[in-house]
Amino acid sequence: MSGKFLGLSAADQTSLLRLAILGLISAVAIGSRLYSVIRFESVIHEFDPWFNYRTTKYLVTHGFDKFWNWFDETAWYPLGRVVGGTLYPGIMVTSAAIYNALHLLNLPVDIRNVCVFLAPGFSALTAIATYLLGKEVKNATAGLLAAAFIGIAPGYISRSVAGSYDNEGIAIFLLVWTFYLWLRAVRLGSALNAAFAAISYFYMVSAWGGYVFIINLVPLHVFTLLAMGRYSNRLYVAYSTFYALGTLSSMQVPFVGFQPTFTSEHMAALGTFGLIQVVAAAHYIRGQLPAQQFQTVVRGAVLVLFTVGALALAVLTARGVIAPWTGRFYSLWDTGYAKVHIPIIASVSEHQPTPWPNFFFDLNLLIWLFPAGIFFSFRELTDNHVFLILYSVFAAYFAGVMVRLILTLTPIVCVMAGIAVANLLETYSRNAPSASNSNEPVSMGKRLYALLPRAAVVVNFMFFLFMFQWHCSWITSTAYSSPSVVLASRSPDGSQHIIDDFREAYYWLRKNTRPDAKILSWWDYGYQLAGMADRTTLVDNNTWNNTHIATVGRIMASNEDKAYELARHLDVDYVLVIFGAMLGYSGDDINKFLWMIRIAQGVYPDEVNEQAFFNHEGQYSIGDDASVAMRESLLHKLCYYRFSEVMGPQSFDRVRKQRLPSKVELDNFEEAYTTENWMVRIYKVKDLDNLGRSHHMAAEFAGPRESGFSPF
Amino acid sequence: MRLHQWFWLALGATRLCSALSAAGERVLVMVPTVDAASEYSDFLDSLTQRGFDLSVRGASNTSVALHNDDSTREYDHAILLAPAARRLGALSPRNIVRFVNDGGNLIVAASSDISDTLRSLATQFGVEFAKRKSRIVDHVHGTAGHTLVPSSHYANTSAVLSDLLLAAQNAPPVYFEGIGHRYKESPLLIPLLTAPRSAYSSPPEDSVLSGMSLGLVSVFQTRTNARVAFSGSTALFSNRLLRKKDAANRQFVTDLSQWVLQEKAVLRASPLRHALAAGGRPNHYRVASDVVFEIDLTELRDGSWQPYRAHDVQLEAIMLDPYIRTTLNQSSTSSIYGTYRGDIRLPDRYGTFTFRVNYKRPGLSNVDAQDIVGIRPLRHDEYPRFLSAAYPYYASSFVMILAFLALSAVWLWSAEKKTAPSAPPASASKSSKAKKSKKS
Repeated sequence: MSGKFLGLSAADQTSLLRLAILGLISAVAIGSRLYSVIRFESVIHEFDPWFNYRTTKYLVTHGFDKFWNWFDETAWYPLGRVVGGTLYPGIMVTSAAIYNALHLLNLPVDIRNVCVFLAPGFSALTAIATYLLGKEVKNATAGLLAAAFIGIAPGYISRSVAGSYDNEGIAIFLLVWTFYLWLRAVRLGSALNAAFAAISYFYMVSAWGGYVFIINLVPLHVFTLLAMGRYSNRLYVAYSTFYALGTLSSMQVPFVGFQPTFTSEHMAALGTFGLIQVVAAAHYIRGQLPAQQFQTVVRGAVLVLFTVGALALAVLTARGVIAPWTGRFYSLWDTGYAKVHIPIIASVSEHQPTPWPNFFFDLNLLIWLFPAGIFFSFRELTDNHVFLILYSVFAAYFAGVMVRLILTLTPIVCVMAGIAVANLLETYSRNAPSASNSNEPVSMGKRLYALLPRAAVVVNFMFFLFMFQWHCSWITSTAYSSPSVVLASRSPDGSQHIIDDFREAYYWLRKNTRPDAKILSWWDYGYQLAGMADRTTLVDNNTWNNTHIATVGRIMASNEDKAYELARHLDVDYVLVIFGAMLGYSGDDINKFLWMIRIAQGVYPDEVNEQAFFNHEGQYSIGDDASVAMRESLLHKLCYYRFSEVMGPQSFDRVRKQRLPSKVELDNFEEAYTTENWMVRIYKVKDLDNLGRSHHMAAEFAGPRESGFSPF
Repeated sequence: MRLHQWFWLALGATRLCSALSAAGERVLVMVPTVDAASEYSDFLDSLTQRGFDLSVRGASNTSVALHNDDSTREYDHAILLAPAARRLGALSPRNIVRFVNDGGNLIVAASSDISDTLRSLATQFGVEFAKRKSRIVDHVHGTAGHTLVPSSHYANTSAVLSDLLLAAQNAPPVYFEGIGHRYKESPLLIPLLTAPRSAYSSPPEDSVLSGMSLGLVSVFQTRTNARVAFSGSTALFSNRLLRKKDAANRQFVTDLSQWVLQEKAVLRASPLRHALAAGGRPNHYRVASDVVFEIDLTELRDGSWQPYRAHDVQLEAIMLDPYIRTTLNQSSTSSIYGTYRGDIRLPDRYGTFTFRVNYKRPGLSNVDAQDIVGIRPLRHDEYPRFLSAAYPYYASSFVMILAFLALSAVWLWSAEKKTAPSAPPASASKSSKAKKSKKS
């Protein structure tokens, strides 16, 4: 082991080895995220990434000043959206910087490819940051293991495959990096490191709304240390620097603005900042006045101050001085809250409480190494370990409440698992057991006897780790590498069949409608419409205006004439619906319809009533036994209009497994386009009849023969 | 500069082409047989004199079509004077509706002997003729067997009827003979002439039609400004009634035909123009900026395009609801058009606004000029700076800076030579520094 290799000392060899391992981990982290590009193509995935991609393109073409002041009149028609002031610009600026740097080097890379490969690239950085964090709290072995875990953990991969161009892609790196710098600052009492942590925090604030996690966890760490009587000047320097710089810089992000001064999410940080000043003053006084019982006095004061602060917070919140907690926040504590009060939050699948299997699915082996890591942290309770334990507890809670917060849990699980495995390997693979130190010669049998159990444990564990890698690759390949813009199905003979209806429809809109056409669809498709079809939308995935979304829901749930009136009032030109009955695609609008109804009912309780959409047996039916409201609703008509002509009159809806409605009449809307697999259907809103008739009367007059040709 | 000047130039060009009608001069006249046209010679000659190019066709002529093979209109106007004919050339109600939708103007004259074709055509416009063989009867004022009914119940639309009929005291009535109709309430339909109170439709139907509810002549203007007239009487256009003494028939028919054939009350508007009051036309306006709106309006009257004069031209700025609704003032006139102008401060609300002049008055062509423009919020550097209200905050931050510098100075140069307080009680942070990996 200590022999010279390549003319390097043992220490240098270790560093080289570490560097090589870290490089390999980075390569694996990037490589395992490329399934989607290899299987499909270099395309932006899902919904939100389309918005990020569109804004990045805007930033690259128009420059930062225009981007900063961008008012987008094609979104949320006719309200418009102040894009520059309502987004986290971190990811766009990062991509644009990379893009410009590459172009400066005369590497003409398309901005789309920069966006597609940004998240895998940052996952390599996350692995490195995790290594540093692990090294900071334990040692290099734990760090390397943690880095390897986070490189391939499905919980993180789910948000960072190539093409998944979302804020989380870079935010997890920043989260880990900020925590690493914070712990380093606390350990060293270094104002410089705290300032670096603040800068990293600023980057995080500019990148993801999840920064709130940092600005609550760090003060909680400080508060816990104070309550444990572990005040130190190092802590004081670190937190004062971090809070002052971090808060001031975070306020430079327009979307955040003055929130750190008045919203309840930021009050804990402010309170802790005040508290630590008081504690510091008390310590200073103690230095001047030697008194034995001072410690208890301080502790008492801390508790009193905390209580008073919390009370003040409660009073100010109640009186509306501090902005009240938002609905999203309440839903973090009461999982049933959103379902009752804010259907729009509950309707998002990633806001659902996490089902248990998800933890095993996303973290597998790590989830049971996690408690072991916490145990080891308790055994050796340093300031850093206090932080890790707090992080574990809170992240674990939040991950249980909301599916997508598994993402914030993953880094700490990886670090904890790294600590656990490192402890285990160190214990069982140590080269020189204490017995061999004695002078007695050791018999072969004895040596074997000592070696066997150790070998058994280590080999066993190697097998687990191997299986973990196997699991991660399988999950990544099967579950997380579908772009959801393009679908794939397998024929019985195993060949792949690409279903590209979404892009077909968006491309049709792009090429066949006026550039200022307004397209109404459920909000899920708003970003994709804006990004791919380049047309004006009424609502999109930035669900800032519940009323507007409810209006769209109401249009979908109203009968044809009412819907027509509302759609014309909103200047709608086309209505787009997603319909999966031909393919058996279950994420279609009919299945989302209940959410539309609920959201509409929340705003227009007199107009829309959920109960009316269930049939007399209380079932959600679409066929001839459906309720009147269901059969007459616009969405139902747009979906099933002429569908039985292609499927045959006696056929079934393949998603709902119900018989199709026998007769669907549509007068006020005109079918404009239906994609190959009938997944996307686009209807034109007819103009008012030139003669002032109802469209029903006009259609009757025009007669069945001329139904294809509509002169009115 | 100006797009709108080209617009007026083009309008001037069309004016030269067609002296009278804004829509063209090709007129199709359908009569039962070509010989029967002599019955309407006064009316038809007056049209020829006014510059129209008449094609008189018999109803049995199946080669008559309103559209040619490539679906463009053959005629600009159609006058149907053959109410009883089972076939109107090759025309079906659908053809005729399509003709109107394509911008053709139409006069339909019916009589007691009305065909199903005309009846179903009229229904599409909200006009429902009484049953076949029924006729208007007035036992009080009617002459010629009580069926020639005088009426002066005009709809008060000066755009269609001239002042000679509407305003003159003791003007003679219009004599009407034929079938009445029921009319629908519709903003597009004007019951131009209704029956006097003593008249009714005989034989009575389930609901008795009489007086105001009994339409004699109704006019209709489609949303695209094509004009249609329904008269329950072909006799109205005949020489017999036109030549009648002490009757306003000639004036009425002239007004009616001038209106339908787009010789009067035709309104044209330029596109809506807008620019910053300070000059310039940005892609977006900023909230609360001052903007000038202008629109030119011209009216075809007495055979020429003249400036349109009114005091009720309104502009709306709409985003879901109207934020501004204001009357535009006539600022200047040329020989052809009048310019309406409004100096407006935009609402202090960002969004995509529709600026719209939606001018719809009975009898006049509809004007709906709109432009969709975004109103953007302030740029990040457009907010006011150095507010007087914020002076205390500025002062406090400067005081803070000075105090900090002073404290630092005192601390740095104070006499105390001791080192900073020693590190707090040893924490267990040693382990994190340990480099155990060396051993492996």
